[in-house]
Amino acid sequence: MSGEADEVRYDPESGRYDVFECPDCNNVVLAVGSDDPPMSCHDQPMERVQDVDMSVDPPNVKEVLLEAFGLPKAGLDICLCVIGEGPMPANEVADTLGYDRSTVTRYLNTLVDLGLLRQSELNREGGGVVKVYHSVDLDWMRQETLVGFYVWAGEAASLIEEANITKREYLEENPDRELPDVFWESFSGSG
Amino acid sequence: MCVTRRTVLAQLVASTDAERRETTTVDALASALGVDKRTTAEHLNALVACELARIDTDSSVRATISGEELLTLDTDGVVLIDPPGRNGDADA
Repeated sequence: MSGEADEVRYDPESGRYDVFECPDCNNVVLAVGSDDPPMSCHDQPMERVQDVDMSVDPPNVKEVLLEAFGLPKAGLDICLCVIGEGPMPANEVADTLGYDRSTVTRYLNTLVDLGLLRQSELNREGGGVVKVYHSVDLDWMRQETLVGFYVWAGEAASLIEEANITKREYLEENPDRELPDVFWESFSGSG
Repeated sequence: MCVTRRTVLAQLVASTDAERRETTTVDALASALGVDKRTTAEHLNALVACELARIDTDSSVRATISGEELLTLDTDGVVLIDPPGRNGDADA
């Protein structure tokens, strides 16, 4: 949530994604890509949310990858440096970004561990192998990153729900007291 | 005309043979790609640094076995090469 001028608000007409709500309960779901068949709850079609007062900061893909997947900034820098350049030696990437070559190699292995890159080995004329890091199948990556993000979003939504419930319970038990400063730190998962 | 490094590698692989040590020249490669010699040479130097191409002392060039194998990976995405260090092992 933000008071910044560039904040965004849900637009049901945008078609980029949809937020549905159940008219009978508090169930709210996010749908990306398709609503066919329509979302349902209690065996009844859910309805598109029409009026949202709250606005949010527009997400930045770099921040999303950093926050949702724990993708190290250096790893993202490496990917962005190489994309579109074709085969690129690790030394050139290191020089371009100002990293040590060992740092580049370490983050490449992290990207492999995260499933965002695949490592292969090419036979070398002088013997041994040359390591090559390349993209995974794009359709597979799309599916994996979307599901991964939904898991992160689900965890975030659960935290918000937990915070709201905790806040309600506290205020019911302490109707005359303000929320303590440590409220947001009082449940697991908060920073 | 702009040409990608991968396109240069593909043309090099098509024009040479690593196993039989068949080579070509930068001029011939640039002509086949329809780009200037300088652009071709810049991409070739990067491919050499990746150990995907080799430039001999007589300036003849060819793809290496590694270069030929890279194309069989069938990947257009992020491709970063980490060749072995001087001691023969890739940096950890």
